[in-house]
Amino acid sequence: METVLNSESFNAQSQSANTLLEVSHLKKTYGKKQALEDVTFSVKAGSCFGLLGPNGAGKSTTMKILTGIIKADGGSANLLGTDVSKDKNMVSKYIGYVPQEITLYEQLSAYDNLVFFGEAYGIRGSELKRRINEVLEDTGLSERAKDAVKTFSGGMKRRINIACALLHRPKLLILDEPTVGIDPQSRNRIFEMIRALNQSGITIIYSTHYMEEVETLCDEIAIIDHGNVMAQGPLGELLERFGQRAIYIETSGLTEIPQLPHVMKTRKEGSGWVLETDQVSNVMTNLIKLAADNHWDVKQIEVVRPSLETVFLSLTGTALRD
Amino acid sequence: MKSIIVKELKLILKEKRSYFFLLIMPLLMIVMFGSVFGNTDDSTVDIHVIDQDHSLASKAFLSQMGHIKGINLEKTASKNTKDEIDKIKKGQLSSVIVINKGFQKALKEGKQADLKLYQDPSSASSVAPVKAVLKNIANGYREQKLSQTLAAKGISKEDISKTLAQPIVIKDVNTTATGINYISQIVPGMTVMFVFYIMISMAKRFFDEKKSGLLARVQSTTVKPYQYLIGMWLPFVIIVFAQCVLLFAFGHWVYNLNLGDLAALGLIIICISICSSGLGLALSLIVSSENMAMVISQIIALGGAMVGGLWMPSYLMPSFVQTIGQFTPQFWAQKSLQDVIARGAHIGNVIDGLAILTAFGIVGLIVAMICFPRFLRSAAN
Repeated sequence: METVLNSESFNAQSQSANTLLEVSHLKKTYGKKQALEDVTFSVKAGSCFGLLGPNGAGKSTTMKILTGIIKADGGSANLLGTDVSKDKNMVSKYIGYVPQEITLYEQLSAYDNLVFFGEAYGIRGSELKRRINEVLEDTGLSERAKDAVKTFSGGMKRRINIACALLHRPKLLILDEPTVGIDPQSRNRIFEMIRALNQSGITIIYSTHYMEEVETLCDEIAIIDHGNVMAQGPLGELLERFGQRAIYIETSGLTEIPQLPHVMKTRKEGSGWVLETDQVSNVMTNLIKLAADNHWDVKQIEVVRPSLETVFLSLTGTALRD
Repeated sequence: MKSIIVKELKLILKEKRSYFFLLIMPLLMIVMFGSVFGNTDDSTVDIHVIDQDHSLASKAFLSQMGHIKGINLEKTASKNTKDEIDKIKKGQLSSVIVINKGFQKALKEGKQADLKLYQDPSSASSVAPVKAVLKNIANGYREQKLSQTLAAKGISKEDISKTLAQPIVIKDVNTTATGINYISQIVPGMTVMFVFYIMISMAKRFFDEKKSGLLARVQSTTVKPYQYLIGMWLPFVIIVFAQCVLLFAFGHWVYNLNLGDLAALGLIIICISICSSGLGLALSLIVSSENMAMVISQIIALGGAMVGGLWMPSYLMPSFVQTIGQFTPQFWAQKSLQDVIARGAHIGNVIDGLAILTAFGIVGLIVAMICFPRFLRSAAN
């Protein structure tokens, strides 16, 4: 039986359950290649959820399953308790999908592209015109609305690419690597857009292989590699659980750091040394005493915050590849 | 679906290559062939003559030839027969008639008058009308001689004319519409040939949608697969219809092409549009690459044009080619169009052609519907 949702029931359900999307044990194989082995995660309503993984990890395949473009071989993805593979209407009504490629008609104007996608999402007439003007305003492209997309910069195309998925006021916006190939200024502009959308109540799923993007934007993340979700949780929690804390020290004339208790690993980084440890205060105290006793000329000494890079390294055993 | 149709029409009209294949090329071909063959009805046969007799009889003979419609007598300046024969050998002349000295004398004496026709064996087709003219005039002289001989024997004029009357009379009866000329072969022929080039444009559009990821993205919207398919197909039906209308209008206004029953012509054009775009749709979804679609489109367009009687009337081709031609949509399109344009046919007379063209289109649509899910999957992955 088809599940019919209106925005009231949507809000009621999302508030009661607080989980907008539940992805459970998704599997997908292309020929002999297993793209997804076991993808499980959940997305809270109103969150900005990061899906972090290297290229080929299974991010795009997961996104396409969530948006009904392809079917999973196993597992399920439930949007407010409804299986997305069984209710295509609900998926297209509540989800806005921004693919990794710039999927626009380059010969047509930005306005014509928005008309096309707006009508494809079922919006018509004055409502469509109003929404087009709103998203053009939001993306800062009102002035260029009648220009052909092929005359736009990469960043402008990316913004229109996102705008096309916003016309039907989705509750969940899925963005698949939306900043690929653009300059830092345009990337910041897109970040501002995403933050504003998230603050307006739209739940975001943001797929990327850039750790700093996830750290900047997302409040919760899932780390995916080789078709498996390795870990999921709030950013701080993951950093706490899997991130390696460390101390950075930079002194002049020191060619080697002596062995210290509770230091698990030492490595050279830039002009100084990084000492990985679980007991930061003990190691810091020992280091300061050692420096004073040996008259080291200390330029810099600080506690290094755990990074997603170390989380990824800890979970997968490899660095995040491009 | 409306949004897809509008978007697609805008994209097609912005694609410059479409104009080249769909309009410029057929127009160029029509103009080119029209210029070469369009005035064949008014063509005249040039006959080169050397009169060595310079008698009243030779002048009367030449005058008689000169009065025949379509004959242009050119008396050569040279009196030297050898020079003219050399010209024939060099390919500068196809034939020359020489009236020898003694032509009048021989006629008066009732002997055979000597007249020579020098000809280039490789130009048999252009010499044939000259031969026919000479034979015709020679027959006239023979009848005149017979008449004089019979009159000399006291036979009345009435009996003479009865005796010499031709046993078989051939009367020209025009059974078709007026204004038939080579243009009535070329305009529909070129139109039908280039209509099938729409298949290239269609394949390009589908592969563009697939490669760019647009088709995958559209699948995440409320657009249903059948809406997408029909939305992509209908603009090409409209484009082909417009293409045919423009080409026939050009033929009508520039070459005075008779269009016949406009309702019948319009219906044929609709069926041709359904047929070519339906086959284009099937081809776009069957093939694995745009290049393959281009090659197959050329084979269908050119092969069909050749055996379907678009370049020359079917009856001029070997019988096995005629038989093969009947399995092509081009044959039925051309036949139906010429029936209306040249033979004054109406809708009722071209029902078979309309049905066959529509059937081709429907088969194309069915094949496209069967292949579309596979195409969608390949676009999504």
